Amino acid sequence: MSTAVIATKLFLPLTGQNAVSRMRLVKRLQDGVDSGHKLTLVSAPAGFGKTTLLSEWLASAQRSEPGVGVAWLSLDEGDNDPSRFLTYLVAALEGAVSQQRPASLADQGAPPMSVEASVTALLNVIAQAAHRVILVLDDLQLINVAPPALTFLLDHLPSNLHVAIASRSDPSLPLARMRGRGELTELRAVDLRFTSEEAAAFLNQVSGLELAEEDIAALETRTEGWIAGLQLAALSMRDRSDIPGFIKAFTGSHRFVIDYLGEEVLQTQPDDIRTFLSQTAFLNHLSGPLCDAVTGRTDSAQVLETLERENLFVVPLDDQRQWYRYHHLFADVLRARSLKNDPERVPTLHRLASGWHEHNDLPEDAVRHALAAADFERAAGLIERAVPVMRRRRQDTTLLAWLKLLPDEVAAGRPVLSVYYAWSMLVSGELDAAERRLDHAERALGLTDDGGEPAFESEGGEELRTLPVMIPVYRASLAQARGDVAGTAIHARHALEAAQPGDHFAHGAAAGFLGMALWASGELEPAVRTFADARTSLGLAFNTADVLGSTLVLADMLIVQGRRREARRAYVQSLQLATAQGEPVLQSTADLHMGISELDREQNELEAAAEHLQTSKALGEQASLPENRHRWFVAMSRIQEAEGDLDAALDMLDEAERLYLRGLLPETRPIAAMKARIWIKQGKLAEAHAWADGQGLSATDALSYLREFDHITLARLLIAQQRASEHSADQHRAENAHLVVDEALGLLERLLDAAEAGTRTGSANEILALKALAHQAIGQTALALAPLARALAQSEPEGYVRLYSDEGVPMAALLQEAAKQKISPDYVRLLRSTFRPAEATSPVPHADMEALSERELQVLTLLSTELSGPQIARELFVSLNTLRSHTSHIFVKLAVNSRTAAIRRAREQGLL
Amino acid sequence: MSEPHAPGSVSDNRYEIRIQGHLDVHWDDWFEGLTVTNYADGTTTLSGVVIDQAGLHGLLGKIGGLGLTLISVNAMNSDHPM
Repeated sequence: MSTAVIATKLFLPLTGQNAVSRMRLVKRLQDGVDSGHKLTLVSAPAGFGKTTLLSEWLASAQRSEPGVGVAWLSLDEGDNDPSRFLTYLVAALEGAVSQQRPASLADQGAPPMSVEASVTALLNVIAQAAHRVILVLDDLQLINVAPPALTFLLDHLPSNLHVAIASRSDPSLPLARMRGRGELTELRAVDLRFTSEEAAAFLNQVSGLELAEEDIAALETRTEGWIAGLQLAALSMRDRSDIPGFIKAFTGSHRFVIDYLGEEVLQTQPDDIRTFLSQTAFLNHLSGPLCDAVTGRTDSAQVLETLERENLFVVPLDDQRQWYRYHHLFADVLRARSLKNDPERVPTLHRLASGWHEHNDLPEDAVRHALAAADFERAAGLIERAVPVMRRRRQDTTLLAWLKLLPDEVAAGRPVLSVYYAWSMLVSGELDAAERRLDHAERALGLTDDGGEPAFESEGGEELRTLPVMIPVYRASLAQARGDVAGTAIHARHALEAAQPGDHFAHGAAAGFLGMALWASGELEPAVRTFADARTSLGLAFNTADVLGSTLVLADMLIVQGRRREARRAYVQSLQLATAQGEPVLQSTADLHMGISELDREQNELEAAAEHLQTSKALGEQASLPENRHRWFVAMSRIQEAEGDLDAALDMLDEAERLYLRGLLPETRPIAAMKARIWIKQGKLAEAHAWADGQGLSATDALSYLREFDHITLARLLIAQQRASEHSADQHRAENAHLVVDEALGLLERLLDAAEAGTRTGSANEILALKALAHQAIGQTALALAPLARALAQSEPEGYVRLYSDEGVPMAALLQEAAKQKISPDYVRLLRSTFRPAEATSPVPHADMEALSERELQVLTLLSTELSGPQIARELFVSLNTLRSHTSHIFVKLAVNSRTAAIRRAREQGLL
Repeated sequence: MSEPHAPGSVSDNRYEIRIQGHLDVHWDDWFEGLTVTNYADGTTTLSGVVIDQAGLHGLLGKIGGLGLTLISVNAMNSDHPM
């Protein structure tokens, strides 16, 4: 379909026959690359020959270094859409590595999932290539903000990849820093303008004249060496008899060079060519058939070839002479004249262009021209038809920019567009705007004309048919996002009712939301039933991606119910389903491994758990759903907690917090509460209290399932406070603290009732274990054994281990008591074998400000290697910021201020 | 400013942009209806109301796109119309 136009963006411009060779500049560019500069910047206004110079350089580089990979990307305004930019960037680089025509790739529709992942993969391929690769980004000024992919690329350049940028204005990159470090080759207007010799060679060659030296000097002065000006001057003189007269008049005039010479050149053209130029000036790309459609001619292809041959305004965009564009500068001149001379005609020209692009399956350009013609109804229809394809390509930025250009009443009259609009608002968190668009859609759907026929505008099809289900589904999602559990359930039920029998997808989506709403309200039994039903429907709709993606949700619900074996079965089945699909690895496969890892960890299979996490990581970010990415770090944190490395566990939770996306899933285990649990273990009760205060938690709160995890954490805090005061000599405080554990017990009792009412046996197990610990904290061992026995009886068949062993010394003591009383003897024996010997001693970590923590020692060891900061951060799975804060703590504690000094001091103190 | 402006007033956004060389009159539509005035010293001004800062930047981009040499950009006080 759009292959031809896509290829033009990656087409290395032809080096013109008439161009003056600019070896002095080519040499500077080549020297820059050879001396190891990272970046070349050619920054100058239009008409200074940037593109021509870069293409001449690349041709020369290919001659002198056969095998060099060359990637060219001509940017346009559309590349402000990061997905689109990334797609082309990847296509251009892949072409340079494989040396094949890259156009097919950009056409596959599904762009890579994440910028970092896809660029990293490519950079690895390039880094392993035997040859050098040069990437040129032409016309970068058309992009408003340096896209993330470009910044990432420049930060991670392999040594054999060089990037060259041509731009009319300096890009928003740290240029001063790169200059300072000698990483930048820079050519600017002053370097690019023609020298006297170049001007002479150029003028004589293009005009075919032998000009006198003083004439050349006069022209050079008048144009200040500006190549576009000199080119027009040469064209103007080509068929002229009175050359000195022309030069005298031109150099004596103040008129803008392009105005003066443009008119001269246009005047020498036949009328029909002038008309052709003015009618086609608005096209970004020109082809014979397109120009025929816009001008009504039948010989546009020949006209374009003539223009190229005559050096008039056009630049070929492929080597088959199918596509051209006007030189940007002349396009502006022609457009301005056309706008002035025949303003009424301009919208008609855009409409004709829109029609041609539509019929040639180039929807993006069709929409652009329709919008430029202010034909919004037409644009709306085209956008509606483009939605499915554009969404598959994740060009949502482009779609949304179009929608914002439509007048509200036009978009509101189209239910399909309104619902898409609502979805975009929903994912960007603009909930009120989303609701308004859904209202529009519903109103439009209800409209009928006098005959009772629907009176809304729509392209029809699948998208329209599913609206009666999708609108309540989105309303359910909106309610979910607002934390309105009851509303979620109501809308999800409406969606279920609206779903036609046999419409498995609609049924699956509606039941899925209802299931999640029931989950959020803590009614686990109906939640699991409804959600399993949703997954069956999605399976019947052959929606494998959603079946796999929802496994984690189902497993989470089962785990809350304490049904860990069923959760494992669900993961294993989904993994088999994913494997049966073969290549490519399906999204959410990595999440399945992560889920299994969590189950392994609870069973104290820590090595297996870590292996599943590694597998998950190795599958790459694309194999994980964005809303699950933080969970990898949560899972890792729990493993490190089990291994006793609490500092590392906290680091992981910080990472998890950074990656957390408020998705559609209820937040049943807030990361802040997980951090508070680690603090409690570390004896940092002040931090944990600050968390509880910040959350406004108290033991007498009304309970809801969404706060269950917080409240259980609060109970843990109260028990820890009790223990801390038992250690204290202050009798008075100890008396007060007696009340503290009573608060904990009261809260736990209510939590237990609520959990059992919602069939949340998994929660009940933890609550029972904590009740036992609360009694034990004040020496009531006999009272502690009753809840412990219940917890053990319920948790043994499901293979819980860490539930007990993570509780450390107090639980070890209780289990010893249980063993004496012969409570669940086999299970208790197994559990007791899992406590680490270290836990025989007191786990109270008294923070000595001067001593390095275990984590800091790890960091210190890595600092003494050759690894760079970012590499160390990757090694530890933390962000650079987290690493920096560790490093600064180490520096403070060692009283040093540099990495080398820290290593020296550490060696002196025997730390390394 | 000596007088308060009515809400939505655009009179604060009056600019005069001076460039090198004389521009033909057909550019006024291209430059969003700004008035093109040529001066004897070989410079030209584009003057008029620009919708907002983004509009001003767009305008400067158009000037750069033509390779015109920019001399100055002045915000004009609405109380002293040019």
